[in-house]
Amino acid sequence: MTNERILVVDDEPQIQRFLKPALKAAGYDVVEAATGGEALKAVATAAPDLVILDLGLPDMDGKEVITSLRGWTQIPIIILSARERESEKIAALDLGADDYIEKPFGIGELTARIRNALRHRERAEAAPATLVTDGLVIDTVRRLVSRNGEAIRLTPKEYDLLTLLARHAGRVVTHKTLLTSVWGPAHGEDLHYLRVFIGQLRQKIEREPTRPAVVRTEPGVGYRLVVEGD
Amino acid sequence: MADDDSRRPDPDTLLALAEKDRRGKLTVFLGAAPGVGKTYAMLSRAGRLKAEGVDVVVGLVETHGRGETAALLDGLEVLPRRQITHRGRGLEEFDLDGALARRPRIVLVDELAHSNPEGSRHPKRYQDIEELIAAGIDVWTALNIQHLESLADLVAQITGVTVRERVPDVVLKKADEILLVDLPPTELIERLKEGKVYLPDSASRAIDRFFRLGNLTALRELALRRTADRVDDQMVDYLKQHAIEGPWATGERLLVCVGPDDLSEKVVRVASRLASGLNAPWIVVSIERADREVGTTEHLHRIEALFRLAEQLGAETRRVVGNDFVEEILKLARREHATQIVIGARRDRGWRRFVSPSLPDALSRKAAGLGVYFVTPDRKERAPVPARLALPAIASFRQSALIAAAFVVATAAAGKLVYLFAELPNISLLFLLAVLGAAVLGGYASAFIAAFLSALAYNFLFIDPLHTFTITAPHEVFALIVFLSVAIIAGGFASRIKEQAEVARVRATALQSLYDFSRKLSTTGKADDANWVAVSHLQASLKRNIVLLLPEKNDLKVAAVWPPDTELDVTDFTAARWTCDKQEKAGFGTGTLPNSRFEFRPLMGPHGLVGVCGIQQGEERLDLNAERALSAILDQTAIALDRARLSEESVMQAAKLEGERYREALLSSISHDLRTPLATIMGAVTSLRQLGERMTAESRDDLLQSIEEEGSRMSRFVSNLLDMTRIESGTLKPKGDWVDVSDVVQSAVERARKYFPGKVIETGIAADLPLIEGDSVLLGQVLFNLLDNAVKYGGGEPVNVYARRDGQDVLISVTDLGRGIPPAEIDRVFEKFYRRGRPDGRAPGTGLGLSIARGFVEAMGGRIHAESPAVKKKGTRIVIRFPAGEKARTGKAT
Repeated sequence: MTNERILVVDDEPQIQRFLKPALKAAGYDVVEAATGGEALKAVATAAPDLVILDLGLPDMDGKEVITSLRGWTQIPIIILSARERESEKIAALDLGADDYIEKPFGIGELTARIRNALRHRERAEAAPATLVTDGLVIDTVRRLVSRNGEAIRLTPKEYDLLTLLARHAGRVVTHKTLLTSVWGPAHGEDLHYLRVFIGQLRQKIEREPTRPAVVRTEPGVGYRLVVEGD
Repeated sequence: MADDDSRRPDPDTLLALAEKDRRGKLTVFLGAAPGVGKTYAMLSRAGRLKAEGVDVVVGLVETHGRGETAALLDGLEVLPRRQITHRGRGLEEFDLDGALARRPRIVLVDELAHSNPEGSRHPKRYQDIEELIAAGIDVWTALNIQHLESLADLVAQITGVTVRERVPDVVLKKADEILLVDLPPTELIERLKEGKVYLPDSASRAIDRFFRLGNLTALRELALRRTADRVDDQMVDYLKQHAIEGPWATGERLLVCVGPDDLSEKVVRVASRLASGLNAPWIVVSIERADREVGTTEHLHRIEALFRLAEQLGAETRRVVGNDFVEEILKLARREHATQIVIGARRDRGWRRFVSPSLPDALSRKAAGLGVYFVTPDRKERAPVPARLALPAIASFRQSALIAAAFVVATAAAGKLVYLFAELPNISLLFLLAVLGAAVLGGYASAFIAAFLSALAYNFLFIDPLHTFTITAPHEVFALIVFLSVAIIAGGFASRIKEQAEVARVRATALQSLYDFSRKLSTTGKADDANWVAVSHLQASLKRNIVLLLPEKNDLKVAAVWPPDTELDVTDFTAARWTCDKQEKAGFGTGTLPNSRFEFRPLMGPHGLVGVCGIQQGEERLDLNAERALSAILDQTAIALDRARLSEESVMQAAKLEGERYREALLSSISHDLRTPLATIMGAVTSLRQLGERMTAESRDDLLQSIEEEGSRMSRFVSNLLDMTRIESGTLKPKGDWVDVSDVVQSAVERARKYFPGKVIETGIAADLPLIEGDSVLLGQVLFNLLDNAVKYGGGEPVNVYARRDGQDVLISVTDLGRGIPPAEIDRVFEKFYRRGRPDGRAPGTGLGLSIARGFVEAMGGRIHAESPAVKKKGTRIVIRFPAGEKARTGKAT
C-alpha cells in the first residue's frame, strides 16, 4: 500500500521545516506549497489525499483557496490558524474545511486530526450504519440509540443533532451548520436553541452529563462527536 | 378622559414640592411692629426643640438687653459673630460661612430685613438666608410687616415713615411656614411705655409718630391679611396637590405696561397688590419703538430698575419691540391669555390732548373683552419730564435756531437777488427750500424755527407793504398760512427721515461690528483663540477692562484678560465663582458682592454654562447700544467656546481611537511574532519525541537546529520589545564612551553574516574615521537591526555598509537593492510596527527594528534618515550621522 500524500500549504519556512520530516516519519508523503496559487496547482497535479492549509497566505486569502477547491473536490482540508483569528476559522469551516488546529500545536494532535479526516473520507464512501463510541451505540438504519443495550429515547430534534454530529464523527461541526441543517436556514444565529438541545442531549446520552465525553464543546466554534481511539 | 386629566395632580406643583424637599425650610416669624415678641417666640420655640434633641443653633439674635429674652438663650448654642470694621467702627455681623460650615439642622437668624455692611458677600440678609436654605439648612427668621416691598408705599402713606430696609415679597412667598406673632396695639403701647420695647434713641421722634394706635392697628391688619392670604395659598396648594376640585383657579392674568416715566413704579406696586389679591400671575412689559432708539440711557436704567422691582415682587418681565404701542400690548395680551391690563394714565396737558388720543384712551377703545385698569398719579407728582432730561434739548435748541436763521437769511438774500432780475410770482417756494434744508441739517426744532422765520422774512421783505409786518391783501394772509402749514409738515417729514437715517446708521455700525466679530470667531478653531478674540473685541467696543474665566475641573481659571495687566482680587474671584455656580449675574451693580469692580455674567452655550465674562464697571454705566453689543457678543462667544470645546473633545476621541488601533496592531504583531517561533519549537519538539525513532539522523539534527534558531529569534524579539519599552519610558541611558565606529561595524557585519549565511554583505570603511561619543553595544544593535532589515527586504541582492567622515560628522550607511520604499511612506518607516510588505500585517520582521534604531541613535545624539531609491532606481539606504568626537583622532589604522 502506498503512503497517503499530504499537501502542506504554509508560507512560513520554519513550519514547513518541521512538518515535513515529522509527517514523513508518521508515514505520509509530503508535498509543499508556499502560496495559494501553488497550492491549487499542487492539488490538481500531485493528487494529494489531504490538505493542511494556513489561512494567512501571501498571495490570496486561505478562504479563497477553500472555495476554489470545494468547487471541484471533496478532499479533506485541515486549517492551521492562530487563536485571534477565530471568525476566520469559523468562516473557513462554514466554507467547507473539515477541521482546524490552532498554532502552536503538538504533532500528535495534528496526526490524530489527519487520521480522522482520512478515515472519514473512507467512511463517506462506505457509509457505515452504526457508530460506537464510549459505550454509546448509534444505529442510523434502525434509528436507534442505546447504551449497554438499553434504548435511549430521543426527541426528533435531538436525534437529528446526534446523527449530524455522528456523520462528521471526530470532526468539528460549526454552530451555523448544526442550526441550519436541524432548524432550517432562518435559524443560523439562534445559538440559544443549540445550547438547550445539546444540554438535553448530553443528559440522555452521556455517562456524566457535567463532564461530556461524547459530545465535546469547541468553544466559540461548534461541537465535536468524539470517536473511540482518539 | 378629560375629567380624569383634570383630576390628576398638577405636575408643576408636585415638581416645585420636590425641589422644596432638597432645600432647607424657611420659617418666618411675622409681626406687625417691633416689640410684639417675635424674637421671644422664636427662642422659646427653639428651646423646646433643643430639649427634644434637635440640632438647633442661634446664628444671630438681638435681645436688645431684654432680660426675659436673653434668659431664653441659655442652653442654646450661639454661633460666634463675624467681627468687621466698617468706616472705622467695629461691627458684629452674622457669620454666613461659619453657619454653612457648622451645618446645623436649624439656624436662627433674626431681622430678615437687615442690610449687610459694604464688603459682605450679599448686600441683604435675606440673600444670606437664601444661601443657607440652598445649602439644605432650615432657617428661622423674624420680619415686621412694614419691611415688605409691595407694602412700602402703603406703609409710608399710613405712618408717614418711609422704610428703607425692604424685603422682596417673593422671599415671604417662598417661606415654607409663616408664624404670626400678634399683640393687640393697646398692649404694645403699654409695653412701649414700660420700656420693654427696644428703640434706638436717634429715631425717637419718628418712632413716636409710628407707634400711634391708628398706625399700629393698620399695620396689624396688614400683617393679619398677609398671613390670611398665605393660608389661602397653602390651601390652594393642598387642593392642587391632592387634585381636589375647587374654585381655586381664578384664571386671571395681568399684563402690566410700564415705561420710563415716574408713574410706572406706582403702577408696578399697585399691580403687585392687585395680583396677590386676585391670586393671579402677572407680566410686566415695556415696549420699545422699532424705528427709534429708546430715549436715553437714563430711560433704560429706569426700566431696568422697574423690572428688578417687579421681579422681586414676583412678576415675569418682557421687553417688546414694535411700532404701534396699542397693537403690541393687545397682541401680547392675547398671546399670554391676559384678562386684565394695568397701565398708568396721565392726563395730557395743553394742546397734545387734542392732537392724538393718549395711550390709555386708545387702549380702552380697542381692548375688546379685556379689563383695563388705570393707575392715576398722585396729585403732588411733578411733570413727567425732569429738568435734567430737558437740558440737552436746550443746548441743541440754540444750535437748531442758528441753523434755521442761517438758512432763512441766505434764502432772503437770494430772493432779493432774484427779484432784481426777474419778477418771481411765488417767491415763497424759495423759503420752502430753506425750511427743508434746516429740517435735514438741524432736525425738527430747526424746521419749525425756519418755518416761522421764513414767514416773517417773507412778509417783511416781499409782501406789500414792504418792510413792515402788516399785510393788507387778504389773499396774502391766506397764502402765508398755507405756506406755514406746508413748511411745518414738510420740515417734519424731512427731519423724521434724518432721524431714521441716523438710527439706521447706528444699527448698521453695531451690526457691522458684530458681523466682524463673528467672522473673526468663525476662523478660530481653538478655544484659546476664541477667548482672545472675544476679550479684545469686547474691550475695543466697550472701552472697559474685560476678563474671561472658564471652568476647569471644578475650578474657575482666568482664560483671557484685556488689557493684559488687568488683575482680579479675591472679591472679584468670589463673585466670578458665584456666577459660575449659580449661573446668574454677580459683582458690580448686582445683588451679590456688589463691591467687586467687575460685573460678571454667565456665558450660556447650548449645553450649559461655558464660561464667565467680567466687565469692569465704573461711574458711567453702559449705554443701550453697548449693552446690546455686549449681550450679542457674549452669546456669540458662548457658542464659539462651546463649539471649541466640542471639537477638542472630538480630537481627544480621535486620539483615543488612534491609541486603540495602535494597541490592536501591537497585540496582533506580538502574537504573530511570538507564535510562529513557538509553533515551530513545539511542533519540532513533539515530532522528535513521538516520531524521533522513525526519522533519519539528519532530520533529527535539522529539527534540533530549527528549535535553536527559533529560540534565538524569540529571544531577539523579546529583547527588541524590552528595548522599545526602555526607549519609550525614557530609561535608556547610553554609556557615553568613546566608540570606534569601524570596530562596531565590523563586528555587526560578522554577526549578520553568521546569522544570514549565503547573503552577501559588503563593507567599505574609511581609514580616517574619528571616534564618536556613544555606546558601542547600542550602536552594534542599531547596525544589526539595519542589516537584518536590508537582508530581509534586499531581495537577495548584496547589501552594502559604508562608514566615512563627512565634514564634522561620522556617517554610516546601510544600502540594499530591494524594491525600495514608496516616497509617501518614507517618513513612516521609523514608526513602530510599520512594515513594508503585505497588507495583512504579516511581514517577516517585527516592525520594531527601525524604530528601535532611531530611538538608540537619537539617544546617543545622532540622526537617522531613510533614502529611497538608493542606487539606480532601486533599493533603500538608511543613513546615520554622529557628530565626530571633540578629541577627534583617527581610528586605528587598518
